[in-house]
Amino acid sequence: MGFKGLFESGQGFTMTDVEGKLVPERGRMDVEGAFTHVSSSQVNVAYKSTHVINYKRTRAEIGQALRKKPNYLHYDLVDKHRSSPLQKGTDNITVETDVKAPRDYRFIMPEFMPRPHFEYRDRVLEKLERRDMLRRRTVINIPEFYVGSIMAVTVSDPFAPNKKNRFLGICIDRGGHGLKAYFVLRNVVDGLGVEIFYQMYSPTLHSIEVIRLEKRLDDRLYYLRNCPLEHSTFSFDMEPIALPRGAQVPVNTLKLKLNPKPWDERWERQDLKGIEPIELTPKMIKGIQKVHNASATPWKKHDLMLHYRSKVNEEEEETIMAEVYKENQLLESMRKTSKATLKKKK
Amino acid sequence: MLRFRHQMQPRKLKVTPGANPQARINKLREIVTGLIRYERVEPLWYFADEARQYAERLLYLAIKNGDKHKETMELADYWLEEKDLVHKLFKVLVPRYKNYKTCYTDLHKLAVEYPGSGIPMGVLELRGNPWPPIIARQRDTKFILSNMLLTAAKQDFYNTKQQLKSDAATKRQQLIEKSDDMHTIRRTDDSSSVDPPAKTENLMMDR
Repeated sequence: MGFKGLFESGQGFTMTDVEGKLVPERGRMDVEGAFTHVSSSQVNVAYKSTHVINYKRTRAEIGQALRKKPNYLHYDLVDKHRSSPLQKGTDNITVETDVKAPRDYRFIMPEFMPRPHFEYRDRVLEKLERRDMLRRRTVINIPEFYVGSIMAVTVSDPFAPNKKNRFLGICIDRGGHGLKAYFVLRNVVDGLGVEIFYQMYSPTLHSIEVIRLEKRLDDRLYYLRNCPLEHSTFSFDMEPIALPRGAQVPVNTLKLKLNPKPWDERWERQDLKGIEPIELTPKMIKGIQKVHNASATPWKKHDLMLHYRSKVNEEEEETIMAEVYKENQLLESMRKTSKATLKKKK
Repeated sequence: MLRFRHQMQPRKLKVTPGANPQARINKLREIVTGLIRYERVEPLWYFADEARQYAERLLYLAIKNGDKHKETMELADYWLEEKDLVHKLFKVLVPRYKNYKTCYTDLHKLAVEYPGSGIPMGVLELRGNPWPPIIARQRDTKFILSNMLLTAAKQDFYNTKQQLKSDAATKRQQLIEKSDDMHTIRRTDDSSSVDPPAKTENLMMDR
C-alpha cells in the first residue's frame, strides 16, 4: 500500500500541511478500543502478508526472474562508484609499464612465471603469490643460482643445539611455480649421499648462500646418484667465490663417468650431455629405438599452436617480469640506503 | 598473444587420408597458404577456425622477429608451401599489420545449405584485403524523409501525452487542497469528539 492508497482509504489518517508539503499523519487511537478490535473480530488480518503474488505471470517473466545472475558487476555500475565523491583519496597510483626487464631475467627468477597450463591458470592467485614472494624477498636474500651451483642453506631446526642447521651441496634440480618453488641440494655426509629438498619461500629458511655460481650441461643432475661419490662431495667449510661484476655465468663442461649397473633410471635413454658415452648393449639400443620411435613427431617442431599453448605468452611474460623487475629494483635501493645509514651510525 | 577468441585445446580434425597429426598439419598448411595467396578462402568452418590460429601466430612472429630471424624464416618456409609467398609475408603483410592492435584476420560463419551435408562453411580472410566486404556497410537511414517524418510524429505524440499528464496532475492537486480544507473545518467544529479507531492492520504493525 503506497502513499496514494493510504490517502484514498482515509481511515485513521489525516493529511496536514507541513511547509507546503502533504504529509500523512497517524490519527490518535484509543488503546483499549484497539485491543477490543483485535480480540473480537479480525485476527486473521494481522497475519496478512504485504507481499503480492502475481499469479498471472507469463512463462517469459518467470524465466526472467529465475535466470542465472552473473557473478560480476557491469562496468557502468563499477565506473559510477569509482567516480563518486566517496572515492576521493583512494586513487591508485598509475602503473608505469615503460619499465622493461632484461631478457634473461626470467632465467634468473623462473619461479615468478606461472604454470602455463590453461586449466590451472588463476590470475588473481598468481598476482597475490607474486606479492607474497616479493615480501618474503624483503626478509631473506634469495640470490641468483642455477642447477649445478654449489649452495649453502641454513634452516631453523628445533632439535639442533644452535636451533639452526646448515647444509651445503650441489643444486641438482630446481622447479615449481610461484610460492611452491623448490630446489634440491646433494652432498655426501659420512660416506652416504644426502639430498635435501628445500622450498624456496618456506619461512623456516634463514639464509641461502651461493658458494660457487655456475651451470652444468644438464637441467637435472639426478645421475650423480649413480656416479662415484667424489663428484658430489663438497666440504662444508667452502668459502664463497664471487664472480666479477657483469661477468657471464660460467658453464662447467665436466663429463662424468657412470658407475656400472644397476642404475636408478635408464640414463642411456635420456639425452644427457654431462656424462661420458655409455657402452651400449644390444638391449639398450633396442630400448633407445623404442623410445625414439614413440616420440618421432617431426610435425611438433613446426606446430605453432603447440608451442604457443605450452608456454605463457610473450606479452604476459613481459608484463609479469617488468613488474617483478621494478619491485626488485626498489628492494635493492632500499637495501643500499639501509646499509649506508648503518655505516654512518658506526 | 592471440587477439581473438579461440579454443584452448586443439581440435581433432577429420582429415583423410591419414587421420594423424601430420595429416592435420598438412591440411592446415594448405589453408594457411591459400589464405596468404588469395587473402580470402572458404573452407569448412572448423578447419578455418583452426587454421586461423596458425596464420595469426605466423603473422605475429613475422612482425615481431622480422626476416633476419632464422627460426621464424624456417617456420615461414614450412607453413607457406609456395615459396613466393614468403616474400609476400615479409614485404607486404608485415608492413600492413605492423601497427594493428587487433587481430589480422576475420572469420565468418556461412549459412548451412539445405539439403546438404549440414556442416557449416566459413570464410577466412585477411584484414585490409582488396575484395568487396562480406558484411555490407549499414546505410545511415536516419535522415531519410519518411524516417524524419516518423520521428517528428513520435515526438508530437509524446508531447501531447505529457501535456495530458500534467493537466491531470494539476486537477488532482486542486482536489486535494479542497478536501484538506474540509478536514480542517470539521476539526475546528467538534474538537472534543474522538477520532475513528485505526484499522487493525496498522495497529498490529505498531505493536
